[in-house]
Amino acid sequence: MQTHRVDRDLRAKIGMGLLGLAVVALLIGLFYHQIILHNDYEVQSESNRIRVQPIIPKRGVIYDRHYKIIADNMLSFTVSVVPFEVKKDITYKKLGELLGMDPAAVQKKAKANFASEFIPSPIKRGLGIEEVSLLEEQGDAYPGITYSVESVRRYPVDASVESFIGYIGEVSPEEIAADPDKGYRPGMLVGKKGIEKAYDQLLRGIEGTNYIEVSARGKIIGPYRGKDRVAPVPGADLNLAIDLDLQRFIVENFDTNRCCGAVVAMDPRNGEILALVSFPGMDPNIFSRPIPTELWQGIIGDSLHPLMNRPIAALYTPGSTAKLLTAGAALETGKITENTYLRPCYGGMQFGNRFFRCWEERGHGRLNMLHAIEHSCNVYFYQVGQMLGVDTWHDYATKCGFGRKTGLEIVGEFDGIAPSTAYLDRLYGKKRWSPLLAINFAIGQGEFSVTPLQLAQFYCGLANNGLVYKPHLLREIRHPDGSVVRVAPQLSFKLPFSQPTLAKLNEALKLVVQGDGGTARGRRQKEYNISGKTGTAQNPHGNDHAWFVAFAPSEDPRICVTAIVENGGHGSEAAAPIVGKIIHHFLINNVPQFAHLKKEVASTRP
Amino acid sequence: MIALRHINLRLVAAALFLSLLGVMLIYSARYDAISGSSSTHFARQFLWLLMALGLFYAFINTPLRLIDFSAYPLLGISVILLIVVLFFGYSKTGAARALALGPLNLTPSDVGKIAVLIALSRFLAYTKRPPESIWRLAISGLLVGIPAILVMRQPDLGSSLVFVALLFSMWYWSGLNPLYLLLIISPLVSLLAAFHWVTWVIYLTLLVLFLLFLRPGLLFGIVTVVANLAFGIITPFFWNSLAEYQKLRILIFLDPGRDPNKAGYQIIQSKIAVGSGGIIGKGYLGGSQSQLEFLPERHTDFIFSVLAEEFGFIGAMVVVGVFAYIIYKGINIALRCRSKFTSNLAWGATTIIFFQFFINIGMTFGLTPVTGVPLPFLSYGGTSLIFFWSLIGLLVLADYYWTEY
Repeated sequence: MQTHRVDRDLRAKIGMGLLGLAVVALLIGLFYHQIILHNDYEVQSESNRIRVQPIIPKRGVIYDRHYKIIADNMLSFTVSVVPFEVKKDITYKKLGELLGMDPAAVQKKAKANFASEFIPSPIKRGLGIEEVSLLEEQGDAYPGITYSVESVRRYPVDASVESFIGYIGEVSPEEIAADPDKGYRPGMLVGKKGIEKAYDQLLRGIEGTNYIEVSARGKIIGPYRGKDRVAPVPGADLNLAIDLDLQRFIVENFDTNRCCGAVVAMDPRNGEILALVSFPGMDPNIFSRPIPTELWQGIIGDSLHPLMNRPIAALYTPGSTAKLLTAGAALETGKITENTYLRPCYGGMQFGNRFFRCWEERGHGRLNMLHAIEHSCNVYFYQVGQMLGVDTWHDYATKCGFGRKTGLEIVGEFDGIAPSTAYLDRLYGKKRWSPLLAINFAIGQGEFSVTPLQLAQFYCGLANNGLVYKPHLLREIRHPDGSVVRVAPQLSFKLPFSQPTLAKLNEALKLVVQGDGGTARGRRQKEYNISGKTGTAQNPHGNDHAWFVAFAPSEDPRICVTAIVENGGHGSEAAAPIVGKIIHHFLINNVPQFAHLKKEVASTRP
Repeated sequence: MIALRHINLRLVAAALFLSLLGVMLIYSARYDAISGSSSTHFARQFLWLLMALGLFYAFINTPLRLIDFSAYPLLGISVILLIVVLFFGYSKTGAARALALGPLNLTPSDVGKIAVLIALSRFLAYTKRPPESIWRLAISGLLVGIPAILVMRQPDLGSSLVFVALLFSMWYWSGLNPLYLLLIISPLVSLLAAFHWVTWVIYLTLLVLFLLFLRPGLLFGIVTVVANLAFGIITPFFWNSLAEYQKLRILIFLDPGRDPNKAGYQIIQSKIAVGSGGIIGKGYLGGSQSQLEFLPERHTDFIFSVLAEEFGFIGAMVVVGVFAYIIYKGINIALRCRSKFTSNLAWGATTIIFFQFFINIGMTFGLTPVTGVPLPFLSYGGTSLIFFWSLIGLLVLADYYWTEY
């Protein structure tokens, strides 16, 4: 026994040593975590318990120029169940009755959206106030059922506004990555197209923040006292130049037998866009809620391309409307005067080994420049084009705004093509194309292509003494603090034509409607003069597209309207009538001088 | 009958302090901030404490001879219970560890621990064979091994590790040369070394050199070498035989960031609780990690995290200190006892407290793996509380009868 006791002393000491080591290890570990790393863990502990909830500000309302609402917000209700409070036998049955769903389907949905026992599991979105008020009144009869309110974008007007208003949707990961400074948050609703996108930051406002204390399972304990709520800043309201009444009038009067087309109405004095219509239109409201896949596939697969914004994103050859550009360039360069007579038109003309036709098979005979425009004679302008050549023509086309974007606020605008030597070299190869191509461009055919907005801009310049104001949709920004910022018209460029040239071109444009041989003489009005130009854009895929561009009154233009009717045939038949109606409608409603005409119309109707 | 004045009251006071603190912390751990009340766990724990104290008093009035005498029958009963629990145990988390006996959830592993402790103390005290005798080691290994394997089958890795620790500690206390412990552990090292054949060859070479230096008995040497070879070869099978969650726990121990949403979540949330407690803590009932239910198993295995969060480093230091005091006392009692049997009992009881104390507290901040070992006196659980109070009873007995042979 004696030997064992000695042995045990040492062993007990080793045991004590182990105890000491263990205690030191534990205390060092606790010290390290509780004191040295304390701040890190403190932060983690706080972020554990605090849920940061964004407070979504009211998105700005978009008005037309007369303060009619184009886009606003409405309340939409989402009904959910709180799994923790669900009474199996009652909840699903009652909710099924309320929503007109099968109780089993309700339960399935609740299970599919389950996040935690305390986090409401959404059952149905987009409910109206009627269904929800029943919940509000008889809450006890619906155990475990709750609802939340969210704001949904609403476009109370017809479908035609989608082309410029666009729509909103959840921000995509790509958008977040592309613009880290814009304050995007996953799941945030942002403008996806049109005005909604262009002025998204103004409309969106600044999100606020709520700090809520939650348990591990998502049970809300109450507001977190450590951090103050950050109030949101509501979005700014926008006042657009669009005249909703005119926009509607255009939609109602566009020949619905013609599927597609575009109309642009502008105020030539400042570049304000009064109406921007793309046919066929889309109802932007469908984008305010999750879109069913079939519907989306239908939209994407539609051969009429309802999402295409034709006024800015469809390219057409300008047809005879381009003759004003050709004439202007020729007058400016001194190749012709308004009285220059060229070789007469016999329904066409031989250039080299090819015969170029005029649209009038019987021919126009001998014409000067003014009458060549009035009659829209191709043969005359073939000759002018030959005189100009590709380079001079291209120079003037570019200076008139073709081949480049107009700079409208909304994205998706096309450049168009004003062919140059370099372009043709690239397309056909050097010296592989004939200089005679200029003949085609001169009458607005061939590779020359424009957007309706570019053409509208050019004619606005002709109407406004050569001054081209930048086309724009926004008139006023009404900030939530009450301040109003007016958008000043911005001079975009000047047409490369002198005053005498402009006067001669305007004289010719007037003749198109007022002249006895004018291609649009059917649009003549007693009370005011209209200036305009018809056009027929050759379409290799089917019937020609019909153009008409006009402004009125000729002496003091207040409105310039550009219309294209796809597959409409000749401009004077398909496009001119609607443009005439638009101009008339606008003038009688907006210019006091012509207001009496409205009454006459009203009184003739019984 | 031990008169009250002969009882080591400081030891009892220390254990009582921890037990009452445990009740308090369980109240906090199950506290609901919204309703302003706690679940009944704390009250149940308090009733268990009263029962444990009663049993403790009965225990210290039991003659030592009766304890000595009942060693093997008790072991037999506990082995039967451990077998029964494998078939009839109820399970909340995939491991069937408890038997429902009326209101009592009896955990046979706790009964097994005390039975093994007594049986092992008795066997190691009375066997005439020298400490290094292969037969002595084999039989004591068998006494511990059978219940340990049964516990592992539940599966309860933590408790079976307690058995292994107890066995090694008792061998050591009853005179085994510590170098022999290395030889005994060597097959496990072989297991790890065998993950690559190069390390395994190097390891085996070292082992042979070590054997030549130590010169144990021939039989011992042969068994060691065979065991090493056998373990090295079965390594891959061993790893594959582990339950998924056991593998996961080993991997999580090595790298807690591996799976923050599942097993690693426990460690991470516990570390946040401990770390955010700081020096003085967030105050009683003020621990957001505990109160808001981020901390899993907060009234059982992670009760120390609740303490560390609400009472900070100071509170944690106090508890570590009290445990150190109990263990220090236990070692001294074991050292003083003249009888091998009582000394063994005291040493073994101290070992179990020490092991569970260290593993459990270390686990709350990632020093030791999460093995499901409760913290003595503080963790919720009736059988566990009664078990640790009987260990205190053994220490009190050994302290009182230290002069007896």
